[in-house]
Amino acid sequence: MSSFNPYTQNGGTILAIAGADFSVVAGDTRQSEGYNIQTRYAPKVFRLTDRAVLAVNGFAADGNMFVKKVKQRLEWYRHAHAKDMPLRSIARLIQTMLYSRRFFPYYVYNILGGIEEDGSGAVYSFDPVGSYERETCRAAGPAQSLLQPFLDNQIYFKNQQPAPGMSHPTHLPLQAVLALVIDSFTSATERHIEVGDGLEMYIILGKGRGLQGLEGVKGVQELTISEDGERIFVVRRELKKD
Amino acid sequence: MDRIDMDRLKSGEVNLGTSIMAVQFDHGVVIGADSRTTTGSYIANRVTDKLTHVHDRIYCCRSGSAADTQAIADIVHYSLQLYTQEFGAAPPVSSAAAIFQKLCYENKDALSAGIIVAGWDKEVGPSVYNIPVGGGSFRQPWAIGGSGSTYVYGYCDATYQEGWGRGEAVQFVKNTLALAMGRDGSSGGVIRMCVITEDGVERLFVPGDQLPKFWEGHEVLPAAVTGANVIDPVPMAVE
Amino acid sequence: MECGVRCPRRRRVRPFCTQTAMYRGPGFDFSNSLRNDFLQHKGVALPKATSTGTTIVGCIFKDGIILGADTRATEGEIVADKNCEKIHYIAESIRCCGAGTAADTEFVTAAISSNIELHALSTGRKPRVVAAMTMLKQYLFQYQGHVGAALVLGGVDSTGAHLFTVHPHGSTDKLPYVTMGSGSLAAMAVFENGWKPNMEVGRQPLSPALPSWYSNDNVRPAVQREEALKLVCDAVAAGIFNDLGSGSNIDACVITATHTEMLRNFVKPNERVAKELKYGFRHGTTAIKSEHIRSLVVSEEITPIRGEAMDVS
Repeated sequence: MSSFNPYTQNGGTILAIAGADFSVVAGDTRQSEGYNIQTRYAPKVFRLTDRAVLAVNGFAADGNMFVKKVKQRLEWYRHAHAKDMPLRSIARLIQTMLYSRRFFPYYVYNILGGIEEDGSGAVYSFDPVGSYERETCRAAGPAQSLLQPFLDNQIYFKNQQPAPGMSHPTHLPLQAVLALVIDSFTSATERHIEVGDGLEMYIILGKGRGLQGLEGVKGVQELTISEDGERIFVVRRELKKD
Repeated sequence: MDRIDMDRLKSGEVNLGTSIMAVQFDHGVVIGADSRTTTGSYIANRVTDKLTHVHDRIYCCRSGSAADTQAIADIVHYSLQLYTQEFGAAPPVSSAAAIFQKLCYENKDALSAGIIVAGWDKEVGPSVYNIPVGGGSFRQPWAIGGSGSTYVYGYCDATYQEGWGRGEAVQFVKNTLALAMGRDGSSGGVIRMCVITEDGVERLFVPGDQLPKFWEGHEVLPAAVTGANVIDPVPMAVE
Repeated sequence: MECGVRCPRRRRVRPFCTQTAMYRGPGFDFSNSLRNDFLQHKGVALPKATSTGTTIVGCIFKDGIILGADTRATEGEIVADKNCEKIHYIAESIRCCGAGTAADTEFVTAAISSNIELHALSTGRKPRVVAAMTMLKQYLFQYQGHVGAALVLGGVDSTGAHLFTVHPHGSTDKLPYVTMGSGSLAAMAVFENGWKPNMEVGRQPLSPALPSWYSNDNVRPAVQREEALKLVCDAVAAGIFNDLGSGSNIDACVITATHTEMLRNFVKPNERVAKELKYGFRHGTTAIKSEHIRSLVVSEEITPIRGEAMDVS
């Protein structure tokens, strides 16, 4: 007889890509257990501040509770310091919060995206017990093995020889990144049974950097709260529902 | 017997959770069964026929693994056809029971089958044989089997009397099965019965909404309030 | 952190090392499956078989049988085939939907199809559905559930229309409407709600109450056919959209006494959306680390030592 298992895997996949002065954090909205769909709309990506977005994936109950606690710590920080916590500090906070549960972990993979204090786009990825690093792009969740090699090829240009006399760009423009994110999710939906239903992409733009073509994107919605700072947007797309 | 040992079923195997029964009366036998077949908690068939023909006047009631009992019944059916060809006469119920018993006993480590064999023959008239899991064989005036039977031994012991006619036997089977189906989660659906006499086999059917009713308790809540005083439920405030 | 590792206990293993070591019981020997379960429990990864997560259904209507199936095959949580065929040929008027281990459903239906053809040839009669059903159940019973085929068998023969389910252990059920596979519960809910006896070749249009993703004009072809066919499609669609193991398109097969119509990809409610970008690669993208060209032409000169060369004309 197996003992009680407090964890469940709830499917779905998250993905984040950092640009030179922007960051994109995306996740599908399907939540499942086994072969059953629990809901077709359960957000996995959350706005923390005007310059930080957190995506959580794994055990949904732990994920929701973890986001709630991170938001609470950020509010306390605002009350104490009268400003939003910087991105790299949020990353370190998340590490300590995850490690504090080293022997009964939050069963979640976190990806934090946003703008650093120097104005650069950043992505931080975490394992369930708090190991983290800053990266340019990261996919996590059940479809990680499908998406990460694709991103390595398209973002880091792995296994791609540049044309003679040319070199690969270190950062892609926003339009290209959004297209890659959409293609990543439509492709993962095709081949992974736990991915689908809807796609939410959060875009964080550096302070005073313009919209970079975002104004032309269908259905874009602004979520920015404060004036004259970083700007934050969300774009929602349908994914296949089978 | 008679609790079906769930460990004897392989994972994903189709189970006849079952309440089955057979009763002898002066001119024949009445056999009956519920109609539920399950795989785990899913009802794979809600109108199953567990009363299986093996010869003109010999039927069996199946409980346990659906695959095992169907395979056994098919082999016995074949054997009895062969018997009829060889001896030019219908086989006695005792012979049918003996074949069932032999198969169940010799393959006991591979089978989960609890079978009741019943019928009419010209040698002894009506007879009922119980062949529980393990492959014993017992002639009884009445027999019950399957997971639902554990709930109704007391009722049967208290109710059965010798010398019944057809009508009393049919009512007894119907009541017993309804009681068993009411208590056992793996039994349910409709009641199927067969009356086997020298003259033939008559099938009886009781739909699930016309089962005999016994004491069912009282409503815990008072009857629904109607009229102007009813307050519409207000949805819970959500953040 | 999956703690509850499930290890289905297999009991029915014949004693393979008893006092009477020469004695073997009747039937096949499954002692190797005990070894495999043991190895798996120890952490040895056994090969993952392609399974058809699957929604398969069947339903009797006035003139015969309609079978339905989705077209997704999975290997674990990865979609192995987006458009596979799950309605298998048994005979002209007998078809069989398969769920479970893909290889088993394909092989078992092919084997029985072959035997049914031989049977038809030797008897000189058209094959019966019960004959196929009996062959299938006896084959599966022999293998005690190790051949993982869950089937919906349907067809029309001289005795009428028949519809069966066959479970992997060899048990069968005869019902007017049936479902199997991981989507069977979703599909059965549709049948229990909408099935009625003697469904006609009705002309009524599709109900407007279909789910939005299902009734899109570009998704639903202009086929407003039988009521029963619509019910079968609704049942499979329920599996496709609500069960993760099922997906992609709907195959259907209408079998009547005179004609069998295989409706491959009858509904395609899940067409792939266009990609945002083009992913062509420039020539020279893949780095060439070294190049070596070897001649595969071998020439040989033959010099006769004595006399003439052998006459090979």
